[in-house]
Amino acid sequence: MRGLARHVADLVRPRQLEAVFVRSPHPAARIGGIDAAAALALPGVAAVLTADDLPHTPLLDSVRIDGLLKTPQPALAGGLVAVAAGGAAAGGAAAGEGLAAGVVRFVGEPVALVLASTRAAAEDAAELVAVDWQPTPFVLEPGAARAPGAPLVHEHVPGNLLFAQAKSYGDPDGAFAAADLVIEQPLIGNRYLAAPLEGRGCLAEPAGDGLTVWASTMGPHLLRRRLAQTTGIAEQLLRVIAPDVGGAFGLKIPAAPEEIAVALAARAVGRPVRWVEGRREQLVAAPHAKDQRIALSLAVSGSGELLGVRATLTGNAGAYSFNSASALIEPYLGAGLLPGPYRIEHVGAEIFSVLTHTSPMSPYRGVGWTQPHTARELALDRAARALGIDPAELRRRNLVTSFPHRSATGMEYDSGSYVESLESAVGLVDASDAPHFAQGEPRSAQDAPASARDAPHFAQAAPRLDPPAPGIRRGVGVTSYVEPAGWGSDGALQSEWSFASHDSVRLQVDPTGGVVAAIGTPSQGQGHATTLAQVVADELGVRVEDVALIADDTNATPVSTAGTRASRVATVIGGALALAARRLRARLLEVAAAVLEAEAAGRGDAPAPGDAGPRGGALSLIDGLVHGGARELTLRELAEAAHFDPALRARLPEPDLLVTQFHDPPATYSNGAIAAVVDVDLGTGGVTVRQLAVVEDCGTVLNPTVVDGQAAGAVVQGLGGALLEDVDYGADGRPRGDSFGSYLLPRITDVPELAIAHHSSPSPLTVNGVKGMGESGAIAAPAAIACAVAAALAADGFTVDRLPLTPARVVEGLTRAAAPANAAAAPASAARAAAAPPPPEPLQ
Amino acid sequence: MMLPITLTVDGARTTVEVEPRETLADVLRDRLGVYGVRVACGEGHCGACTIQLDGATARACTLLAVQADGGAIRTVEGMAPTGAPLHPLQAAFVAEHALQCGFCTAGMLMSAEELLRERPQASDDEIRAGLAGNLCRCTGYQGIVRAVRRARDEANEGEAR
Repeated sequence: MRGLARHVADLVRPRQLEAVFVRSPHPAARIGGIDAAAALALPGVAAVLTADDLPHTPLLDSVRIDGLLKTPQPALAGGLVAVAAGGAAAGGAAAGEGLAAGVVRFVGEPVALVLASTRAAAEDAAELVAVDWQPTPFVLEPGAARAPGAPLVHEHVPGNLLFAQAKSYGDPDGAFAAADLVIEQPLIGNRYLAAPLEGRGCLAEPAGDGLTVWASTMGPHLLRRRLAQTTGIAEQLLRVIAPDVGGAFGLKIPAAPEEIAVALAARAVGRPVRWVEGRREQLVAAPHAKDQRIALSLAVSGSGELLGVRATLTGNAGAYSFNSASALIEPYLGAGLLPGPYRIEHVGAEIFSVLTHTSPMSPYRGVGWTQPHTARELALDRAARALGIDPAELRRRNLVTSFPHRSATGMEYDSGSYVESLESAVGLVDASDAPHFAQGEPRSAQDAPASARDAPHFAQAAPRLDPPAPGIRRGVGVTSYVEPAGWGSDGALQSEWSFASHDSVRLQVDPTGGVVAAIGTPSQGQGHATTLAQVVADELGVRVEDVALIADDTNATPVSTAGTRASRVATVIGGALALAARRLRARLLEVAAAVLEAEAAGRGDAPAPGDAGPRGGALSLIDGLVHGGARELTLRELAEAAHFDPALRARLPEPDLLVTQFHDPPATYSNGAIAAVVDVDLGTGGVTVRQLAVVEDCGTVLNPTVVDGQAAGAVVQGLGGALLEDVDYGADGRPRGDSFGSYLLPRITDVPELAIAHHSSPSPLTVNGVKGMGESGAIAAPAAIACAVAAALAADGFTVDRLPLTPARVVEGLTRAAAPANAAAAPASAARAAAAPPPPEPLQ
Repeated sequence: MMLPITLTVDGARTTVEVEPRETLADVLRDRLGVYGVRVACGEGHCGACTIQLDGATARACTLLAVQADGGAIRTVEGMAPTGAPLHPLQAAFVAEHALQCGFCTAGMLMSAEELLRERPQASDDEIRAGLAGNLCRCTGYQGIVRAVRRARDEANEGEAR
């Protein structure tokens, strides 16, 4: 706000070197040799380091699912060396010697690291590093990668097939045999990415035999463990600090190979080394997300009952199964949520993860759930049109209504407002111009269900839209969703995902009465400090301004193996802090009782009759003041007594005001619905989102403002995925969406004023009934918008089978739909030629 | 080859030697320590580095420092120097939860301040158009539009009294 936040790019250490990576401009190539002599000749250049200089153990994903092949990823591909005179390098090779021993597997893969006194000098030098690239055939799409004779991304992975598994729940064959209607819905899910405004980056500095690493990360403890595993430095000698982080959305969960390389480099040259990721560098070389090829089929009865769903989910894994989450974070997780919020008893899933010469996969908000959700909802709408049933009504009939509900794939939905949220969402948009939305007049605020109406920002009834102008098609889409949120280990198991997702927290009261909560899950803008300080204050009975949250430094916080991810902080960390606060509160009241007893004894009063409850049971702590005793006690008095008064401490079994609390909550599921109204310009193909409503039910709401902010941010990221964002690898193997001029994030002019409302179905299983909700909008908003466009253009014969719905793609689809039936339909996407292209210009 | 230039940054006049190719963002940040100027794309697409040069918004990442020689530069750090109360726009951003990670906020405030200075009665559409050059990836823009509206209305009420 005042410009005082400090990110990695704002940190400066004495004798710090700036690091710039030399990256592959080719999707696949052998490295004949690397000659850094010219680079080293530039003033200010300290070293040009490669894999040979930085011996290390490659990164490996930690997912334990049998059948998943491993693809170790080096911090730097290839091998070679050059060391500036006087610069020390672990490899010890002589300057200028160049041995090629490496392969690059995607455009942007780092092969060398240039260290210089300034960023400009490092960038100049990086352009002078001469790499003998020997391009080899490459493959970009899963289909091509599975074709016989396709180039192999990893020799030890035949057919580029990283993982394959068939799963069946219930009797899908029987369901499809009994169906009156089967909808086949293909979907080419676009490859897009978190693209937080602050890119990745880290600053590593030698500290004794260890290292201190400042990193723009969501998981300082996870990065610390990865550093220990790859560098061989003992974990206890490694310290990771997350300074202010400018957004992350999943991208900054896995440790980055670049972070490992920078740590190794700092150790090799014995000086602080800093890497600040550039925007093009991120869009091209950082891990991407989504990119599933889906063939989904929906079995429906004549009366609109959803009998079964089958899907083949093929994830484009990229060149490495990226370290912590693996490429399975897309198709494998997607399969578990195929039933979504509906009572679909029979589910069949075929999961494939296929290696290609593209950037690896990373978690991004909504992870693998987003694109299968879109495919299912598109199929649902087509079933509704085929059966002449209102799309909202078709959903309403099939939504889960009684809880707990065990889904076909083994998820136990603990509570929810599936039907109410759907109705609220429909009520918040003007569906009157939508041909098949039967609910007629838009409901006024009065008709909206009570709890939606009471929501503070339920500002207005659905505003009426003027009818669409000629040449404009209007469509309405509505989708219901369930989010497996607030993952504890149980939640991970219900997603059939091997993942230790517990956490421990530490809560203490300092001598002057200040409260410190130490947690291992830093915030990247999710309002943790506000929300969690509020939880501690409420549960402990102190003022929120007396609570400080520490989450950034592995030296000061309990180990969190999972870190911030999967909308888990409110439930796992919030729950742990609430339990810790309750124990600490009891201890504070014991101290208060002991103080009052000592004072009473000092006055010669007869001791109070032994009250039955725990010591101090009759006392209460509210806003930092103890009530119910002979006099009020301040938290400060309690803290000083507990810390300093030996007579008092002798009376107390546990006089210290320090509690650590482990917590691993059972699985919980939030739910909601999103409605979208779009106008499609038949001439330009432009899609304008006129109205967007999101109804969220995340159980007990800790802080409505923070929840609304998460809902809005997630929905707009979903809008980007539906209409704008596409990495879009060209035939040359380079992403075309490689700058914010071609990789289009939603702008303020792309986004209507959202209607946000809430229902609240507290979880019967989690502390305070809290559920996670950070990803809902990113799971379901693409479906709402895609369904709205499909509905708008259904009469024109346009079908949605690929995202994003760019103007060009809409016009192409309309033209194809209007072409005489016998015209050879041009394939939806030009087949990607596998021929080697002309060498592209260097990446910097 | 270094060139001396003189900049008045948030009221503080300073002379600094720069390379011709150094951007204003690099000089403000790495030379003068004004880290309130954020760089998110380095190509003028996202607006995070927006400052005001002689009262007009400009992208510090695509402006060479030498082009700003002799200029008066205002950054977010000048809106409410340490100890001073928040500028009304900043207070409105807090009240309307118009930021989450805050990386876009400095540039957003610079654009919004110019917008309201030039169009005190800016409509919602004008507010959106005025901020279309500033990307935000966290908030979905909802709080930002409300905050600028709030600052607009409060300024006009102040006027009316």
